[in-house]
This record gives sequence, structure tokens and C-alpha cells, in this order.
Amino acid sequence: MIAVLEACVFATVMGGFFGIILKKNLMLKILSMDVMSTGVIACYVLIASRGGLFTPILETGLKSDGVTEAVAYADPVPQAVILTAIVIGFSIQALMLVGVMKLSRDNPTLEVSEIERSNMP
Amino acid sequence: MNLLTIGWIALPLFVGFSIYLLPRFDRYLAIAISLASMAYSLGLILTSEVIKLELTDSFGVTLMADSLSGYFILGNALVTAAVVLYCWRQEKSAFFFTQLTVLHGSVNAVFICADFISLYVALEVIGIAAFLLISYPRTDRSIWIGLRYLFVSNTAMLFYLIGAVLVYQSSGSFAYEGLRQAPTDAIALILLGLLTKGGIFVSGLWLPLTHSESETPVSAMLSGAVVKTGVFPLVRCALLINDINPILQLFSVATALLGVGYAIFEKDTKRMLAASTISQLGFVLAAPAVAGPYALSHGLAKASLFLTAGNLPSRNFRTLHQTPIRWPVWGILTTASLSIAGVPLIAGFGAKTLTLKALEPWHSAVLTIAAVGTAVAFAKFIFIPFTRFSEADHKISSGFWPAALLLLGGLIAANAFSLTTYTPNNIFKALLVAGIGWLIYGVCIRHLKVELPRAAEKFEHLIGAMSLMLVLLFGMGLV
Repeated sequence: MIAVLEACVFATVMGGFFGIILKKNLMLKILSMDVMSTGVIACYVLIASRGGLFTPILETGLKSDGVTEAVAYADPVPQAVILTAIVIGFSIQALMLVGVMKLSRDNPTLEVSEIERSNMP
Repeated sequence: MNLLTIGWIALPLFVGFSIYLLPRFDRYLAIAISLASMAYSLGLILTSEVIKLELTDSFGVTLMADSLSGYFILGNALVTAAVVLYCWRQEKSAFFFTQLTVLHGSVNAVFICADFISLYVALEVIGIAAFLLISYPRTDRSIWIGLRYLFVSNTAMLFYLIGAVLVYQSSGSFAYEGLRQAPTDAIALILLGLLTKGGIFVSGLWLPLTHSESETPVSAMLSGAVVKTGVFPLVRCALLINDINPILQLFSVATALLGVGYAIFEKDTKRMLAASTISQLGFVLAAPAVAGPYALSHGLAKASLFLTAGNLPSRNFRTLHQTPIRWPVWGILTTASLSIAGVPLIAGFGAKTLTLKALEPWHSAVLTIAAVGTAVAFAKFIFIPFTRFSEADHKISSGFWPAALLLLGGLIAANAFSLTTYTPNNIFKALLVAGIGWLIYGVCIRHLKVELPRAAEKFEHLIGAMSLMLVLLFGMGLV
């Protein structure tokens, strides 16, 4: 099962990466980058789940005698780390889309080859 | 010293955002921050103390500051101070100084962090702050250049993130030491991210356009300080883990030769400087133990060259060789060029000698060829004619003089770090390298009319080159 999920994660990353190369439109390139970053996030979640699938929150009283049951928790560290990466990725995306908005005024088709032709010295 | 380190690393971010609240004091606050960094880095270098910190818990942020970080921080502090002085009388808004201070702070953070996630956060903040500085003029071209930079660096960092989690999977921590038992794919992915961010070899081909089309002070900052943030973690990892050293040595040679090849044939001043940055990063990477002095001297020289190139009457070398410039400008240009070419009395000489001494014979021989190439490329600046009074009335921005004096003063003072290299043998060798370079320039390069193709710098090719580099790194890791 893990191997299948892993394959899906890398297919997402690769799909996003080839989208960046093959799509002509700058907007779609940025969306492809988002797909790629979704793949990376999924990779972190997948690796965190190796130890188990339960949310890593300590709960008392799961058992009748008040002792916490030892369940297979997911590793909290990669999840905590990827939260930071999600926020950063999201803010960069927002910033890039603002840039695209400004560029679209003079390059309404947003084709990268056209933008490059008019903006390379 | 521990509390001081934490306070110092948090200060630029705190002050950076306060500049927005106190726009009247923007320039003073920005320069105060760079002075604080200067004092801190001199403390690190002179005491040669090693500070190791683990914040919060065993999974928290790990920091490590030693004299190697000290040299990089000192370079960053001097370049930032020079850029603030350069912009002092220009009509820059508080926003510019906020971004400059945040950029300075996050570059410092890279130089002292010791785990992959803090490094990731710092590199991404650098990406955002650098994007905002590049696109500060708000023209279409500047926005496109910034967007291209942010896109390339963010894509590289996504690969890096996958590498980081693979390191965590194999060692249970994100610390640099985890790279030791990491699988090949983790090493390849992390190296790809850092090589791209640091502008090394083919993955660094985004650099010439970004650094040459930015505004003068921004290109000085990017080439003098920011680009070192990709190289520093590589140097740090090479010192900790010997296994990746052979791979990095090959890259140092490849990038030194590639950059110098571009620099020799370039007809545009700022593009030539950017290409030479690619090649100089190879020298920084070559000998990790003495990378500090080299990065410092290169940062100071390159920043002053970019500031001067922005104040020359033209960006075309052919035009420049026909119109004499004023002698003080020529003096600054020549001193900085001589430093990069490694001529004695300037810091570049000591740094280059230390680096070449620390290498194996084959490596040192190839880098000496690259050094001759550097002398050829910089002869284009040195042989610009000069006069006492220039007829061409070209306006020089008022902040230029204090900024250039600060950087050149730094270049002369940095000699103190490498006084032991002043032996007759070394001096003779350095002069020979520079002499051969100038001779080659005078005999054949000067009249050459070759234009190198720029196809590899197109956006899609930059992204595509990443996949090629990844395959190459995998291959190198497996061998």
C-alpha cells in the first residue's frame, strides 16, 4: 500500500514539474508549481505516517482505568515542518500571482515566450 | 555569547518591520543593523569561538556560529552598509530599506543555521525579499526578472524539501550531520536545491540576467552577499561530511571554467561581472576550510565593481574603451578588478593563494587556468582609458563615493587575515598569472568579436536544466 502511495506522490511531483516546462502560459506554470508543491507536502505526510495513522495528540482516558493507550501515532515532526513550508509556498504563490497581474496588462496572453522576447535585453 | 547570538539574529527582522512604522529613521536603522552584524562577526573571527545552540527542544532550531560564518557575515554586513550608503540620498521609500534589512537578516540566518529546515525557511525568505528588491522599480522588465528568479529558486527548493524529508527518514533529525547516512537520492535532491540557489555551474545560468538587469545597488547586494547563501551550506556540509567532497570539487572546477568562459566573451559590463560571479563561486567552493576569506574578498570586490559599473557612461565595453572616464572612478574600478584577479596588496591575493594552496595538484592547476581567465576578463576594466578631467559630463550618484571607500577600505584591511601568504614565491606566481592574463587579452581577446548564444538562459531551459542536473547528481552519487 505504501509503495502505491509513494508512486502517486512522485507522479504528482513529476506531473507538476513537467507542467512547469510544458505549459506555455505563465499562470498555468504557476499552478503547475502548486501541483508540484502539493506532491511534496503529500510526501511529508506519507513519511510521517510510517509509525501509524493516529493524530499525534495526547489524550487521557482512552481506557477505562485512565491510562493512555499506546497507539501507533504518526510522527509529528515532519507534519509540523511541512506546515511552515505550506505557508511559505502559499505566500510565494500569492506574490507571484500579483506579479502576473501586473505583467498581464502589457502581455494579455501571458505566454512566457512572448514575455521573454519583450523583456530580455 | 549565546543570548547575544539569539538577539542578534532576531534583531534585523524586528528592526526591518519597525522601519515601516518609523519611516523617518529608515536609513539610520538599516545602517545600525549592518554595523551590529559587523561587530558580531568581528567578535566571531577574532575569538574563533564555536557557538552551538539548540533552541526549544531536540527537534528545534539548531544554530552553529564559528569563524567561517564570521567571514561570511562580515562580507554581508559590509556590502549591506555600502548599499545603504549608496542609496542614502536617493529617493528610495521605507519599503526598500525594510526589504534590505530583512534580506540582510535572513542572509545572516543562513550563515549560522545548522539544520535543513531552518536553512529552507531562511532561503525562502531571501527569495521573497530579493524578489521585492529586484521588482522595486515596478517596470515590466524588473517584475519579469524578479518573477523568473523567484520561480527558479522556488522550484529548486521544492526538490530540496523532498531531499530534507528523506534525510529525516534515514537519520531521525534534520541536522546537517544526517546527510552522512542519507541515501543517494536525498543527497542529490539537496545538492540540486543548493547548487541552483547558489548559482553554480549550469544550474546557475539564471544568474547573469538577474544580476545584470537589477538596479545597481540591488545587483551589488545580490552578487556580493545573497548568492553566497547557496554556497555556504555546501561548504558547511563539505566540512562535516567528507563523502560529498569529491562531488563538490568537480562542481567547483566546472563552475569556475564555465563562468570564466562566459566572462571573457561578454561585451556588457554588468553581464560580465555576473558571469564572473559564477566562476568565483567555484573558488569559494573549492577549499571549504579557507572559503571564508575568499567569500569576503570576492563579496567586497564584486559589490564595488557593480556599484562602479552602474555609474559608468555606458554598459558596452567597446564604447567605454573609446571614452575616457575620470581617474578616481578608474582607480576604484581597477583596485577591485585587481583584487578579483588576485594581485598582491589587495585582499583577493591572500584569499586566492590560501585557496590554491589548500587543494590537490590537479585541482589547483585547473583553478590556476581559471585564474588566468579571470585576469583576461578583468583586463577589459583595467584597460579603460582615463583622464584627469572628463569631457563627457557624466553624473555620478552622490552616495557612490562613501560606499566605494567603505568597500575598498574593507578590501585593504582584509589583508590582515592572510598576512602569512606574502612570500616572494607567492607574489611572483600571482603577478605571473595576472601578467599572462593581460598578455592574452592584449594579443587576441581584445579584437575578438564572438557573441555567445544566450539560449540556455531562457526560462524553460533553466527549469529543464534542473532535471538534467538531478540525473547527473544521481549518477555522481551512485559512482
